Amino acid sequence: MKPPRPIEKFAQAVGKCSAEAAVYGKCVVEDYNSVHKDKCAKEFLKLKDCYLAAAKGKR
Amino acid sequence: MRISLRRVSASPVLRGGFLPQLQVQPCQRRYAFQAAGAPVFDVFNRKTKWLQRERAASDVETSRRADYLRDEVAARLCERLLDIKRDWPKALDFGANSCNLAWALTKKNPDPDPAKPVSAPLSTKIGELVAADSSQTMLYRDADSPFNDEINITRHVLTDQESMPFEAGSFDLVMSNLSMHWINDLPGVLAEINRVLKPDCPFIGAMIGGDALFELRTSLQLAEQERKGGISPHVSPLADVRDVGGLLQKAGFKMLTVDVDDITVDYPDTFALMHDLQAMGESNAVLGREMGALSRDVLLANDAIYRELHGNEDGSIPATFRIIYMIGWHESANQPKPLPRGSGNVNLKDILER
Repeated sequence: MKPPRPIEKFAQAVGKCSAEAAVYGKCVVEDYNSVHKDKCAKEFLKLKDCYLAAAKGKR
Repeated sequence: MRISLRRVSASPVLRGGFLPQLQVQPCQRRYAFQAAGAPVFDVFNRKTKWLQRERAASDVETSRRADYLRDEVAARLCERLLDIKRDWPKALDFGANSCNLAWALTKKNPDPDPAKPVSAPLSTKIGELVAADSSQTMLYRDADSPFNDEINITRHVLTDQESMPFEAGSFDLVMSNLSMHWINDLPGVLAEINRVLKPDCPFIGAMIGGDALFELRTSLQLAEQERKGGISPHVSPLADVRDVGGLLQKAGFKMLTVDVDDITVDYPDTFALMHDLQAMGESNAVLGREMGALSRDVLLANDAIYRELHGNEDGSIPATFRIIYMIGWHESANQPKPLPRGSGNVNLKDILER
């Protein structure tokens, strides 16, 4: 049995944050003709925090 | 007379002062000339593409699991072959990948029409199939599979994906299954395919084109724009349907048929989609792309945006593969041709007004 690739662990952790991902996605897609850097930085940080917590819980 | 000013770099003698040194070169006459031939535009990095395909095929199990698209399109290409009632003593599979076409040709009872009796596999109509590809590992991946016994197949490793080391007029049929979208010089390769065909023999090909993977293209652009403030190409530029018609015509093919087919595949998440693309050997190889892997931040943002913008209601995500099928015939004297202009005897207006 091969050990899982890092990206598989990443995908699993990301899958646990669908609520935060939806908030971030809505923020970007809401006005997708005028996306600029850090337009949704706040929402993204929440998503990332959730992902980091999920990734840490795994190990 | 050419006079050039050259600043000599700091030598021990001149240190401290930047004295411009005057240098007089002897008279030279140069001729201005234009580069011969049409310019060749390079879009894809051939070496990278070759490496990606070699690597993908070296993991046999994963590579086989990601063959669903090629197998499906190979089967659909073979359905088009059924319409031509002929035998082909010598056929070429150009850009064969892992010989998916050879596998599809050996399928039992290929005619889906239930009214007809059981038909023999198409491989019985083919004398010899030459499968040519630049990636040796991918070409020989399934060399031990049972379908090899049912078809007379010769594998030929090309030195380059765009080379055509065959003699003019040596094939009765040329096919190509999902590999031509990585070719830099598409007009040149199509002309080469036309060259190796005998008169009145067809080229039948399928390539990815048009708006294929537009979901991934748009969501990655949005994710990179929002996270990094700029975008870099992640999905190849692709030929459109109308381009393909023009290209075939330019290459000298006659009696063209071009049609489009959308195949939508659902994936659990964007990582599964990208994993499968990698396992197919279809990772990004555009020249001038950003080197290195996508950052985790962009991947995280991309997954969220893809779901929001294109996601299905059941939580899966769709990916659209637009396949362009093309059929062109090598010119021959006994082919039906359009009549010359002004040769009509009946006025169409009279008929339509009647």
